[in-house]
Amino acid sequence: MTDSRKVLDVAGVSKRFGPLEVLSDISFEVAKGETVCVLGPSGSGKSTLLRCINWLERPDAGQIYLNGVEIGVTGGGLVMTDRELSRIRTRIGMVFQHFALWPHLTVLQNLMEAPVQVQKRPRAEVRDEALALLAKVGLSDKRDVFPAKLSGGQKQRVGIARALAIRPDLLLFDEPTSALDPELVGEVLVVMRELAREGMTMVVVTHEMGFARDAATRILFLDRGRVVEMSSPDQFFSNPESERARQFIQRYAGNVANARLAVTSK
Amino acid sequence: MIRDFGIVWSERDLLLSGLANTTILSVLSAAAALLLGFVLTPTLMSKQRWLGFLARGFVDGMRCVPFLLFAYIVYYGLPSLGVRLDNWTSGLVALTIYNAAYMAEILRGAWAAQPREPIEAGVAFGFSNVGLFRRIVLPPLLLAAGPVMGNQMIQIVKDSAFLTIIALPELTHAASSIQSRHYVPFAAFITAVFLYWGLCLVIEAGVGSIDRLAAARR
Amino acid sequence: MSAGDLLAILQGAVVTVTLSLIGILIGLPIGLALAVLRWADVPVIAPVVKVYVSILRATPLVTLLLLLFFALPNIGIAIGPVSAAILALVMNTAAFNCEVWRAALMNFPKDQYEAAQSVGMNASLRFRRIVLPQIVRVSLPGLVNEMSLLIKVTPVLAVVGVVDITRAAVRIGAETYDPLPPFLIAVALYAPIVFVLVSLQRWIERRQVMAEAAA
Repeated sequence: MTDSRKVLDVAGVSKRFGPLEVLSDISFEVAKGETVCVLGPSGSGKSTLLRCINWLERPDAGQIYLNGVEIGVTGGGLVMTDRELSRIRTRIGMVFQHFALWPHLTVLQNLMEAPVQVQKRPRAEVRDEALALLAKVGLSDKRDVFPAKLSGGQKQRVGIARALAIRPDLLLFDEPTSALDPELVGEVLVVMRELAREGMTMVVVTHEMGFARDAATRILFLDRGRVVEMSSPDQFFSNPESERARQFIQRYAGNVANARLAVTSK
Repeated sequence: MIRDFGIVWSERDLLLSGLANTTILSVLSAAAALLLGFVLTPTLMSKQRWLGFLARGFVDGMRCVPFLLFAYIVYYGLPSLGVRLDNWTSGLVALTIYNAAYMAEILRGAWAAQPREPIEAGVAFGFSNVGLFRRIVLPPLLLAAGPVMGNQMIQIVKDSAFLTIIALPELTHAASSIQSRHYVPFAAFITAVFLYWGLCLVIEAGVGSIDRLAAARR
Repeated sequence: MSAGDLLAILQGAVVTVTLSLIGILIGLPIGLALAVLRWADVPVIAPVVKVYVSILRATPLVTLLLLLFFALPNIGIAIGPVSAAILALVMNTAAFNCEVWRAALMNFPKDQYEAAQSVGMNASLRFRRIVLPQIVRVSLPGLVNEMSLLIKVTPVLAVVGVVDITRAAVRIGAETYDPLPPFLIAVALYAPIVFVLVSLQRWIERRQVMAEAAA
């Protein structure tokens, strides 16, 4: 299911906010088709790591490569301009915790906006693909609706479809279900599981232990800005190496409902 | 009284030309003020403290000065500094600069109320610079600020009437002229009042449609 | 520009402030009355008020003032510049204040009103003891905002000869052929007055936000 081609290569990434070192020397690789779940306690830097990957946050140290091409720094060693960054970002899809749908556009227009405006693909082709994606996430009937009229779960499914519409090499999920009411979480996880099963390369920051255990090919456990553990889900949940991981799992694993209640927003 | 209105009717060309002047002046200065506002607002929020300070000083200053006085200063006062503008240009400049401050404040408020995440999504999806501004940032901003800008537009129309003091041939000036020549003050000014009212109703209708667009998306 | 000129402008300031205060003091309760008439939807009168307010808010103050000053004598009512000025200010203020009061009335929580009804208060008591104190609180920032706007339109009184700050400055400028200094003095007089009002408005708003946060 995974092949040896590296889609994402993170090497020695560090980031500080003022005096606080949020990420310290993070290194890992993601092969094509992998689903990497990033777990960790609040404040461990998970979201920051994700946002560094597409340079929404600028790392203070380290390199990030997408399909072998460095993100953020040109071949000549200069920091990339906005335009150069945008050319890379269009290869990475992102799903946001609070959905971040564009309120002035309908659902269908949200999906079509980046492919048409940024990728300059022909409108008709984009439209067909967008409609197919909406069908895939089960929201065909909402295509001409404005986002404000959707439920949280529907908004997030649109968010996922929108990210898929740009045909990304890599999908980033920033706590996609944390802002959802419990009964709406399931419909989003179903879509995500399906994507993982189909071989989409994904990096998912989440608190959903059930999803991590079932759908991930690898777990990255972060604590206080460092990669404490990196292993298969089976190994991580049943036989964690570190004490911190053990504590974390004890607090959150098992009863998924309890886990959701125990988590406060970051 | 009917006879008075008859006289006003016979002078309708003058009144209509005054209305046209009022409309053109208001539209031009509103557009220019909005554009200036787009320049001023980022300056207001600039990281460079001295720049932000200057911009804030300008905006607060303009909002503390009566427009009529400002118009006087532009028309009568600037010549002392060597800048002599005719009454049309003075009026346009005064209206534009004065309202640019208000537009900047309106845009700043609307911007502060905008959620950041959809814009960040725009960046994440590869939008940048002009494209990001035009397609992601601007539309929700205008939808949110629409009603307030509509009110400002009405304010501009009313401020334009002050320019009668510098003999600019707008609507109030036309009515005054008819009044003083034919001694029909009631008919002349009431007609002007109703023309202003009509103009404002048109603006409010425009604001109403922007508001409907916004409500559908809320 | 001499000391005498400066004094003349300061006297103009007294006129500006006095006429503004009169306009506010009379316009405020009339605005409230108009708002109540619309809120209570009194037949015939309410739509008339609606049209009146709409027209007044669309009419430039200078046009209104010229209308009153020239037209009233024409139909037999003698009126001098100061009276015309006060009348114009009051009509204008009342219309704008009406909208501020009306917004507060429209947003008044219905259940409070019903609670007052349920304990047997009559309309007058309900209004005086329950509605009024609260809408005063809610309307305050908007009303103070209107006051600062009022100060900024008072120069229009110069157009009919009332010697306020602006007319004094214009006269001195015309006499000395040096208009800029008196104008700048005029600005220096208006600005603090408006600034005080705007600061007052912000202070009131902040206090209300804090009170609500504490609640």
